[in-house]
Amino acid sequence: MNELQETARKLLSDGTVNVVIGYESGPRGVRAAFITAPEQADKLIFDTRCVQNLATYLNPRRTQITRLGKAAVVVKGCDARAVAGVIREKQIERANVVILAMRCGGVLQHPESDTPLNADTVSVRCANCKVREPKLFDYLLGELPPEPPVNTLRIEQIAALEKMTPSERWNFWSGQLSRCIRCHACREACPMCFCVKCTAEKSQPQWIDPSSTLQANRAWQTMRVLHQAGRCVDCLECERACPEHIPLSLLVGYVAEAVERRFDYVASDDPSVPAPFGVYRTDDDEEFIR
Amino acid sequence: MTHKFLSHQELASLIGQLLAAKTRVIAPVRAKDDSSQLEYQPIQSPDDATFGVRLPRRSLKEFFLPPTEVLLHYKQTKAGVEIREVPTEVPPQVIFGAVPCDAAGLAAVDKVMNWDYRDELWFGRREATTIVSFLCNTMDATCFCTAVGLGPESSTGSDALFVPVEDGYLAYLVTPKGEALLQNHGTEATATMLADAETSQREARAKVEPNLAAIPVEFATWLASNFDHPVWKTLALRCHGCGACAAMCPTCHCFDIVDEHISADEGVRRRNWDSCQTGLFTVHSSGHNPRASQSERFRQRIQHKFSIYPSRFGEILCTGCGRCSRGCPGGMDLPSIVGELVALAQAKPEAGGQ
Repeated sequence: MNELQETARKLLSDGTVNVVIGYESGPRGVRAAFITAPEQADKLIFDTRCVQNLATYLNPRRTQITRLGKAAVVVKGCDARAVAGVIREKQIERANVVILAMRCGGVLQHPESDTPLNADTVSVRCANCKVREPKLFDYLLGELPPEPPVNTLRIEQIAALEKMTPSERWNFWSGQLSRCIRCHACREACPMCFCVKCTAEKSQPQWIDPSSTLQANRAWQTMRVLHQAGRCVDCLECERACPEHIPLSLLVGYVAEAVERRFDYVASDDPSVPAPFGVYRTDDDEEFIR
Repeated sequence: MTHKFLSHQELASLIGQLLAAKTRVIAPVRAKDDSSQLEYQPIQSPDDATFGVRLPRRSLKEFFLPPTEVLLHYKQTKAGVEIREVPTEVPPQVIFGAVPCDAAGLAAVDKVMNWDYRDELWFGRREATTIVSFLCNTMDATCFCTAVGLGPESSTGSDALFVPVEDGYLAYLVTPKGEALLQNHGTEATATMLADAETSQREARAKVEPNLAAIPVEFATWLASNFDHPVWKTLALRCHGCGACAAMCPTCHCFDIVDEHISADEGVRRRNWDSCQTGLFTVHSSGHNPRASQSERFRQRIQHKFSIYPSRFGEILCTGCGRCSRGCPGGMDLPSIVGELVALAQAKPEAGGQ
């Protein structure tokens, strides 16, 4: 039994946690596993197909999971930032989650393909990874793999968007967002979308029309991405969930770049570091507010 | 069922003639954003169509029940409220290259659309449309059409079914609409063609059948009497409740109706796709939600498709296309979930929950 399985088994056996949220082999590649008995711990795996950000399952509104009891969660360094996010924003308490952090050398863009990791198959979010060894953890597990290959596709796409004139960019996004069907799968799959009542669902007043018209779709995604500024951990779960294949990671990635440039802040894996959205500083850059 | 042979050239010329007569023709085309994917789109030329490569990523549902559509316009005047309804008659259109499961999905939804209320918008489009399905040969491990009473050769919901044979297609003419479409096209099929077509249909079925055994009729009864079975508590832990499955599903047809203002005294009433997988779907005005967690919401999805709909309309509300599973960001897999539940049902044939 490997280190991850052994740790999970111990945590379940000694009653430290009631459920370990990790990855297992499923009918279509790897999927989330909810291990509640020590003898099931050998189901747990961790490899390059473990793309999904399991921090989404820590949302306290997911009562089908919270009623299982205290959870341990398997995270990659990038996912740990989402765990830090939900702790920072007081959704869960640090003491109420056990973090099993895996050293990671990159994951696949299309995990169902089960191909070797190379520059063509690696996830675009692994480019320039600085968290191969997670910093937020209770248990740090696995060997440190070499640096992941670099897939520059998204970096190039964001650079191309930045080069566009505002009207070109508007047209690009109008074309993409005309496909949005307002199912809100992007929101549900997002670890940082945990509002009790989303503005998209407020009807008194109706801030955003619920119909999937282009105007309403733009309003919805604009609101979502602005609300994600400095909060988004760039896990791409929104894009993975989108049944219409809208490149949402470009939208959040673009805003994340702006936050880094303006506020010198990248979504932190330290829950005690405040995010720009949650602080007011007199020396904040206000040059762009006119 | 009558049949004809249609060569590749004759199919192209039939599509060409329809387009020349300004008939809207819909067929699978390469997706603009990802050429490895297909989607049903109106075509401008017979060459635009790509037949038999893979399952289009979305079903035909959106051509009959769009994600959003206007039901009526309203305007408040001094004399009262002016209501302008939308026309329910639509010009004829022809779909070539439907996968049989997508055509069957429409036929299943017809039942509820003509239940306590006849949905004129749905039937306006259904009646204006001729559907030509092609024998499916693009199945993968997630397909389970044969388990829900269909198959890659199913003609349910199709007006004609084309089965590839040498140099063209053997066209089975299923309905008068299908016969009318091919009235002036095609030649008599030979015995060899018929035999070849039957072989390919058998072979296609054999590729899907191992994925999931046929769902027994008693499954619906078992579901109905096992509403409180403990399996529901843990079945949907990984489900996000995002509803992407419902958006992809050829048979999910729930909608929400909203009024949207255009100006202070004018607006439109729209209906929009909705899904029982979201919390908002069942929340009462009091704030109480009878389906409080994803466990209950996912149970609803299974119960509706495999028990409620069959008991009301005599058929399963699932075509086994597998889109819900392929598109699920949480790794929910319907064929294995249904397989697990059927096994439970068969292990305990006596009715009654726990």
